[in-house]
Amino acid sequence: MSVREYWSIQWIRRALILLVVLALLAPVFGVAAEGVGYTEPIEVAADETGASGSADPVISSPLPDYSMPGLPGPIGTLASALLGSAVVLVSMLALSRPLAREQ
Amino acid sequence: MYRCLLMHIPDGYVDLPIAAVFAVAAGVALTIAARRSGDRLEGSQAPLVGVTAAGIFAAQMLNWPLPIPGGTSAHFVGGAFAGIVLGPHLGVLAMSAVVVVQALLFGDGGLTVLGANLFNMAVVEVYVGYAIFRLGRRWNDVGAAFVAGWVAAAAGAVGVAVQLGASAAFNYELLTVLAIMGGGHAVLGLIEGAITAVVYRSVVQSRPDVLPSATREVAV
Repeated sequence: MSVREYWSIQWIRRALILLVVLALLAPVFGVAAEGVGYTEPIEVAADETGASGSADPVISSPLPDYSMPGLPGPIGTLASALLGSAVVLVSMLALSRPLAREQ
Repeated sequence: MYRCLLMHIPDGYVDLPIAAVFAVAAGVALTIAARRSGDRLEGSQAPLVGVTAAGIFAAQMLNWPLPIPGGTSAHFVGGAFAGIVLGPHLGVLAMSAVVVVQALLFGDGGLTVLGANLFNMAVVEVYVGYAIFRLGRRWNDVGAAFVAGWVAAAAGAVGVAVQLGASAAFNYELLTVLAIMGGGHAVLGLIEGAITAVVYRSVVQSRPDVLPSATREVAV
């Protein structure tokens, strides 16, 4: 199906709008979570066992921690949410064609 | 800085032989999922899988702040939800797309532990969540979706704990890690269950025809 055919289907249009709404909420939640000063179980476990300093990325990712170079924190989070959702959507659609044909 | 660690293991936390074992396990599960799901990818199923995966990616970015002592946050992982809405095999593929993009593009989850992260979030959570939903839905489908999300989140956390607790960085303190991860996520999993149930209910009300249970049982 072409992009125009996808857009003509009502539930797909609605789902894409919902995606944008979720992306807009991401920086709001990010700022709120910072305010709580949170820790997560995996970090607690690392502290308890002395593993905290062991995290050592083998590649430097282009957009580390959902940030965008040159953009202030929350705007970078929003841009990352939009870009990441789009990449997941397009790669899933691209993958589904050869998989469907294989049958 | 924005963090999204919940279930995502970074490089350096898991011993390489253990990471390799789980990479192989995840690879086998993904291959089976890909083989068994191709026939369900025709027509409108492809955009449904894509939109669900993208929605789970976006929903994972929402850190729900919990102002309890010490402070913690929870984010929806979505493995059980993917299994319920897409069926187990497509659910595995959708979650895999999310986990791979998070690792490669955003550095959320390491490269050497990509297989382990896929195993916990895209395999264990999806199959455990789907199995519980399928067992429980004859009594109450929304309640089954809640329990599925809850238990799947805890099961994924146990997977993480086993990988970490068997590794040198965590001093092989398996029981300590299991208690913290299992206990923590048994509580945080209640949020996963609640979101799974609420979103499942809205899908049932708006588009019951897209659910795999509406058409036919999915062979596992």
